[in-house]
Amino acid sequence: MRTSDALFRTTVTAVAALIPLVLLALLAFLVHDSWPALRFNGFDFLTHNAWNLGNQYGDPVTVHGELVMPGASFAILFLVVGTLASSLIALLLAVPLGVGAAVFLAEAVPPRIRTYASLLVELLASVPSVVFGLWGYVLLIPLLSRHVYPHLAHWLGFIPFFGPPSGSGYGLLTAGIVLALMCVPLIAANLREAIESTPQALREAGLAVGATRFEVVRKIVLPRLRLPLIGVSTLALGRALGETMAVLMISGNALNILPQNIYSPISTMASFMVSQLDSALQDPTNMAVHSISEIGLALLLLSLVVNAMARLLVPRDLGA
Amino acid sequence: MSALPDGLAKARALASERRLRARALSSWIGWAASALAFGALALALLDILYVVFRRGFSALNWQLFVTPTSGIAGGLLNAIEGSALLTFGALLLAVPVGVLGGIYVSEFSRDPFARTVRFVADVLVGVPSIVFGLFGYLTMVTTLDWHFSLAAGCITLAMMIAPYMLRTTELAMRGVPAELREAGYALGASQANLVARVLLRECAPRVLTGILLAMAISMGETAPLIYTVNWSNYYWSGHLTHEPVAYLTYVIWSFINEPFASAHALAYAAALLITLFVLAITLLARLSISRLAVRRNP
Amino acid sequence: MTQRSQNARRHAPRLAMLAAAGLLAIGSATAATVTLNETGSSLLYPLFNLWVPAYTRANPGVRINTASTGSGTGIAQSIQGLVQFGASDAYLSNAQMMKNREMLNIPVAISSQMINYNVPGFNNVHLKLSGTLLAGMYDGRIQYWDDAAIKRLNPGVALPHHMIVTVHRTDGSGDTFMFSQFLSFTDKMWEQKVGYGTSVNWPAVPGAIGANGNPGMVSALKTTPYSVAYVGVSFKGQTDKDGLGEAALQNRAGKFVMINERTVPAAAAAMVPKTPKDERISMIYAPGAESYPIINYEYVMVKLNQPNAQMAAEIKKFLTWAVSPTGGNSLSFLKQVNFLPLPASARSLTLQQISKIH
Repeated sequence: MRTSDALFRTTVTAVAALIPLVLLALLAFLVHDSWPALRFNGFDFLTHNAWNLGNQYGDPVTVHGELVMPGASFAILFLVVGTLASSLIALLLAVPLGVGAAVFLAEAVPPRIRTYASLLVELLASVPSVVFGLWGYVLLIPLLSRHVYPHLAHWLGFIPFFGPPSGSGYGLLTAGIVLALMCVPLIAANLREAIESTPQALREAGLAVGATRFEVVRKIVLPRLRLPLIGVSTLALGRALGETMAVLMISGNALNILPQNIYSPISTMASFMVSQLDSALQDPTNMAVHSISEIGLALLLLSLVVNAMARLLVPRDLGA
Repeated sequence: MSALPDGLAKARALASERRLRARALSSWIGWAASALAFGALALALLDILYVVFRRGFSALNWQLFVTPTSGIAGGLLNAIEGSALLTFGALLLAVPVGVLGGIYVSEFSRDPFARTVRFVADVLVGVPSIVFGLFGYLTMVTTLDWHFSLAAGCITLAMMIAPYMLRTTELAMRGVPAELREAGYALGASQANLVARVLLRECAPRVLTGILLAMAISMGETAPLIYTVNWSNYYWSGHLTHEPVAYLTYVIWSFINEPFASAHALAYAAALLITLFVLAITLLARLSISRLAVRRNP
Repeated sequence: MTQRSQNARRHAPRLAMLAAAGLLAIGSATAATVTLNETGSSLLYPLFNLWVPAYTRANPGVRINTASTGSGTGIAQSIQGLVQFGASDAYLSNAQMMKNREMLNIPVAISSQMINYNVPGFNNVHLKLSGTLLAGMYDGRIQYWDDAAIKRLNPGVALPHHMIVTVHRTDGSGDTFMFSQFLSFTDKMWEQKVGYGTSVNWPAVPGAIGANGNPGMVSALKTTPYSVAYVGVSFKGQTDKDGLGEAALQNRAGKFVMINERTVPAAAAAMVPKTPKDERISMIYAPGAESYPIINYEYVMVKLNQPNAQMAAEIKKFLTWAVSPTGGNSLSFLKQVNFLPLPASARSLTLQQISKIH
């Protein structure tokens, strides 16, 4: 090998190695900083509802070998539930919307204007999270809480979790709707490309045996795309799990309480980290900050698992 | 005798016609549902833009572009400057890593390590931005004692967007036709030369597109900056550490919560500016892709 | 390589040097000024926003950044040295003082807290509420506006059968400290189960929402019918403008009082003489027939030891101005945010503390 090639190879390899290094650094620092919290909180961390800084005006006490404020406990079941529930609602809304929009764009819109029409969906992905939050805050919440949720609670009250009280508009369903809009472009764009690249011969075969064009899409094109759809939906799930600002502005920031219906205020792990880090910093024993780091670590591991799953499910180049 | 088969045929024809009609109806419903899905999403985007543009435009005035914020009133120039500095700084750090990393992953794609790097980059793209923010806070702001600062914000943003750029660069490089590579090697070019002179130039527009999209991402971010950059009412004074910096997304998040009309006006104006920037960059990136694609394969 | 890109390459170093020189110029131009950062209490924030432009106009050598983030942030960031001034409605706890002996709790004014609500049709009625009633609302014992306990204090007011939406602060907040202290002092169950602090373990009440800062509290009240919240008095102009209800609170003597120019000074007169040397004292639930039950010192948390003499001098100068009756404590500033100036005895304690900064 020429020396210039060797040099080239060494250089790009060394630079590329920074990327795994970033992941290692994230893991190492979060584990390091949350270590006292991991020991103090134990397994209760994920299975109870008790985020409590303790009596800040008392004197620190030693519990399980760690110095904490009296009465302090850190457990985040309500955040885990809030995060998973809002993301699942988002997915339940985003998958049908994304599939529908992809089918419409790929099959019903003439190719000449397709680029522009698909921008109408795909630009949703580039709207900053905080602008989604703003829109949700000034438009969606008044609209839904006054004109939609009361009716939903009234007419669909027989479905579990749909009944009243219909709440203040800040809550689970509002967060789910906004999250759905944020991750739907990922599904729509990838699925549209997949539909477009379906071999023409397959469609013609379907049409030849007398199927309508929609039947070709539904019975021949879409079934072939089940695996990519699952993969890209998993990717969208990963995105919804970690959304921060929009959720912070519209979720109602519930504390230590599980949602009783789809209108209830919630918090998510990501939004809670933003809203509570400052409060946690006041804890003179630092256990609250260590526990925030533990939330960060849990969120990091969750997103790693979900994203790794998405990549392993579908080896194609999604989302980039 | 012949009546029976005749009746049967008629019944069959009737049934098949009914089935056909039912199939036509369900097809029609299917198209309508997919059109509705598209319409709902397009409506959502248009409504977001409508809200942001209408309220933003009525809040715009030239003062915004020439004065800094003072409390919850004044202008936005400090935030515009800060957003530009943060984005520029993040790109300065992330572009070399993303582009060289992307070259490595595409040119040495059979290396097991290259596969690892690509997988890790994919996974990092999906890591929530607040996790990067917390990391930046724990390491740079407190442990390294940089305080809230431009440097901490830029590095945090760079960590977020470098993996994204690595993947966009890799995809761009892999889009280069194999004949070009083979021709290059046949002429005896070294790998470094080939990549720099031929391949990169060939796929420069697509690499640039990735960089532009990464720029849009970093401009629109808020969560990783709250605990690394914080906020300032003043222009940047030239210090990389120990000095907080203003940025536009902070204004939206924090000022819309204030009960004062002047604060709301600033929040809407900031939302308008950041949305305009981000949409313009995204449109530029996307439309130039499709135009270039057309030019290359006429 | 094209001619143009060769040109660009030749010019690149020169451009880089120009850019570097530009940065240096910016850096050196501002080297003479001192930047002081303030963050914390959203209750104190409106006052800082009145002070800073007036002060910096007279003292161009200093820049003061202000931010409304909540007292918790003010406390935390001043202890960490991230800001010079940590604004807080709550004093530091004993544990915090033990760990951070160099922190000073410097009162700069006297403030109070309103209980506001948004009950359509009843916002012009000053509902009578007590600490026990509020504790019941916030821990779920009282769920509806027409609860018998509320009606008992408000005979003749036909309150609606609607669920109460309690709003609490999500950020670490001195207002939460004052409110939860009021509830702890008036309600045994609250004291035992929840206690007080800048962040407390809010009982799980269905439908309760969290808001960020006093501004978030006012916005949540405005947009959420049948809600109740605690709001710092510097936002009174806004709550009045938004047509929100303001409750009359039961004081220690059993009287129902509202914030005015008699009730807040009456409470201050009862509590200020008890102020210790380090000025960490609760003034909640003061005795006296006229005393308003939720008043407090507004603190600025400052480190005793500053990194350099210039910084220390600027901090002392600003704080001395802030508590001076002809400077920051003049009524022209305080009236706008409904604060009281420091009484003379408290001012002399405060000046003693300021003089220790070096």
